[in-house]
Amino acid sequence: MLAIRGLSKSFGGVKATDNVSLEFADGSLTAVIGPNGAGKSTFFNLITGALKPDTGSILLDGVDMAGRSPPDIVRHGIGRAFQVASIFPSLTVQETMLAAVGADQRRASVLYRRFPLAETRGRAEHAMELLGLAGKRHRTAATLSHGDQKLLDIALALVLEPKVLLLDEPTAGMGTEERWRMIDKVQELWETQKITVVFIEHDMDIVFKIAPEIIVLCYGRVLATDAPDAIRRNEAVIEAYLGTEHHTGAIA
Amino acid sequence: MTELQAARAGGALGVPRMETMSRRTLYLDMLIALAAFVVLAILPMVFGSKALLDFVIRCSAFGLFATSLNLLVGYSGMISFGHGMFFGLGAYGFGLLMQRTGVSIPVAFVATLLITAVIAAVIGAICVRLKAIYFAFVTLAFQMLIHSTILSWASLTGGDQGLRGGIPRPVFLGIDLSNHHHLYVVSCALLVLGLLLMRQIAQSPFGYTLRMIRDNASRASFLGIDVWRARFTIFVLAALFAATGGIVMALFVSGAYPEFAYWTISGEGIFINMLGGVTTFLGPMVGTVLLLTLNDTVTRLTEYYGIVLGVVILFFAIGLRKGLMDFAVEWYTQRRTQAGERE
Amino acid sequence: MDLDALTGCLASPACLVTQTTSGLIIGMLLFLVAVGLTLIFGVLKVVNFSHGAFYMFGAYFAMTAYQLSDSFALAMLCAAAGTAILGLVFERVFMSRVYGADVLMQLLVCYAFVLIFDDVVRMVWGPEFKSMGMPAAFQVMPLFIAGGVVPPYYLLLIGVALAMALLLGLGLARTQLGKVIRAAAHNPAMVSALGINTGLIYGGVFALGGMLAGLAGALAAPVRSLTPGMGFSVLIESFIVTVIGGMGSILGALIGALLIGLIRSFGSLGFPLFTEGLMYLFMVVVLVARPSGLFGKEVA
Repeated sequence: MLAIRGLSKSFGGVKATDNVSLEFADGSLTAVIGPNGAGKSTFFNLITGALKPDTGSILLDGVDMAGRSPPDIVRHGIGRAFQVASIFPSLTVQETMLAAVGADQRRASVLYRRFPLAETRGRAEHAMELLGLAGKRHRTAATLSHGDQKLLDIALALVLEPKVLLLDEPTAGMGTEERWRMIDKVQELWETQKITVVFIEHDMDIVFKIAPEIIVLCYGRVLATDAPDAIRRNEAVIEAYLGTEHHTGAIA
Repeated sequence: MTELQAARAGGALGVPRMETMSRRTLYLDMLIALAAFVVLAILPMVFGSKALLDFVIRCSAFGLFATSLNLLVGYSGMISFGHGMFFGLGAYGFGLLMQRTGVSIPVAFVATLLITAVIAAVIGAICVRLKAIYFAFVTLAFQMLIHSTILSWASLTGGDQGLRGGIPRPVFLGIDLSNHHHLYVVSCALLVLGLLLMRQIAQSPFGYTLRMIRDNASRASFLGIDVWRARFTIFVLAALFAATGGIVMALFVSGAYPEFAYWTISGEGIFINMLGGVTTFLGPMVGTVLLLTLNDTVTRLTEYYGIVLGVVILFFAIGLRKGLMDFAVEWYTQRRTQAGERE
Repeated sequence: MDLDALTGCLASPACLVTQTTSGLIIGMLLFLVAVGLTLIFGVLKVVNFSHGAFYMFGAYFAMTAYQLSDSFALAMLCAAAGTAILGLVFERVFMSRVYGADVLMQLLVCYAFVLIFDDVVRMVWGPEFKSMGMPAAFQVMPLFIAGGVVPPYYLLLIGVALAMALLLGLGLARTQLGKVIRAAAHNPAMVSALGINTGLIYGGVFALGGMLAGLAGALAAPVRSLTPGMGFSVLIESFIVTVIGGMGSILGALIGALLIGLIRSFGSLGFPLFTEGLMYLFMVVVLVARPSGLFGKEVA
């Protein structure tokens, strides 16, 4: 279970994250939405260690992650995929996955073996298949299409077998059809892998269709956390997105 | 994406690469290494010229150095301007140990590597955390500092005259390094062994960790990798191979000179890498042979070696923009795709 | 090590004056070279590893011009003009091709030209050490300040360098051209979109940097010996200065140069064999404490 308590982060005078407290139950699927500048990516950055929070705690199964380094947090089981696919351009898909599982530096065998151990090879293989990349295993990452690169990015996060998977705008930069395929994939992963998934998303159709729980952030604060129908009717949320001019009722 | 990464990504061809991480390639590498050593060992019987043997010995020294530099530059993306300091330290360390203490050659060899490891660890601890251009400058500063120390500590190092008096070569295991032929075989053995070990490092999971750090250090740390530790480790390992090159050089010239620690060694190392190409493992070796050949031929023809070398560098840097082995690989993959298309 | 000589000097006003002045001229010459380097880096984002060659050409141009014309002023002008033109051509024809490429490429292109230029000088002027000699106007009695010896030429040198520093500082801060240059350093695309020819700016900055180095060479010619390899040691030292002072900072170049000059001159008393080593040690210490230099900004 991932519990966030009183998380805050300021840059200069700007509160990017303002006293955020949330809970993510094991195996839950949650969408994080909010207008631009709401602090969604900052929120992810704080959880994954890219930024150090000013105050607050990030409890993963009771262990506080706040202020730890990214490698440390990853080892405890929080994985992240990026808005702009963050991959290794010169490695092939297969090399990427094998390198990721083989990178456990605590073993001296990383120097004298030529290949990762059998059980870890299996993990790499499995992750490739899950994301549908097995057929492209020998393609160099730089030559993959944008969508495939995003899949590879997610595969990288998954292959370390995290307890919590954070997806930062998995459908960013995609056309409508590709978007649905990607989100179907995300849903499929969530259902089969039984991990906690939290994803940032801008496409409201998608969010309202698949997320059982939605969190709305605005100006670094949690505006609402609820099921889709309740969010749709939430006045404060409507106001945040559309402004105070007209409330015709529901969003989307 | 830098040009380096684009080159490694197979350029615009997008040609899929072959399987690289498997047991088969280890055995293949060992086989190639054995074959290469046999060929080199037989060479003196076919071509008896001393000049050729000398050339190969020099190639061994510089080849080890340049390939170790490629571990830093090509595989890890760490551009060091001061790597030559370890070449110099290897030469002086070995020379001094042999001259001043009565130890045998293998012991001096190991001791030199240990001393180099310690010095590399200290320098690495200071430098590795620095960002790219600052890493380059500070490593250069350390090299010049070491060079200055060598020059001024004349009582120990002989100052600008270098270590004089030759290097004692007690026989060990029936090998007499004052015999030129023995020296030749040992140099070749060190070269082949060194290359094989560096190849293993490059192709091991650790080697791929380095590639990941080179391509995207931030993402690597989000995979649980301690980036600093990996960089530090390869910095020290590369230093050891550079020092080995220095030891071969010291044995070859029977001494050590301040030039071995001068920045031009680092500059030549970088040039060799560009000449041969950084995208293949043997690129630096090819570059070494090319540079030494160029060196020898041009100095025989004209005293204006600088202009010729300068023009050659420009040709590669501006005209070709990649090294020889890069071309070879591209040409080969292009022919394969064309053959594939024709079928 | 000769610490007695050092402490003895620090206690004597005469020695202090002599050593400080000598440290100042070393520093000022270094400043002129280093400021060009730092400008080129600040605006063009490229490290000009061939910068020492401009210093060398400045000295040789000045020597030849003086030998032909007997006028020191003319010699300096020729040197400055010559190296400015050289800088412009070099930048437009060669350097502009490697902007944005790997640092290795830039390093290699510059290294190639160092090799070529050194040999060109060797071919044209010969490999031996040459000297220009002190111009007649300055063959006068040295000044005695507090007992220390100060050749008047030194004062000219320091004066010219300081004037340059002032001109540069004010020029970049106050004039329209200066603003354009600084803008181009921050956002070349924007400056170009405003209709300003960035190519010309780049060429101009390189020419300016080269000219400053050439001027330094010309000023150094009467008091140093000329040799084809003279560019290199100046290059290394001016690197140290720019790195210590912070790449892209003019003030940093000035402070760094003065520090290095003083370390050199006093250091050569106390550590005659390890003087260079002192500089590198100082550089290491500064960089470890402040990797971007004393006045530098963080480079992404």
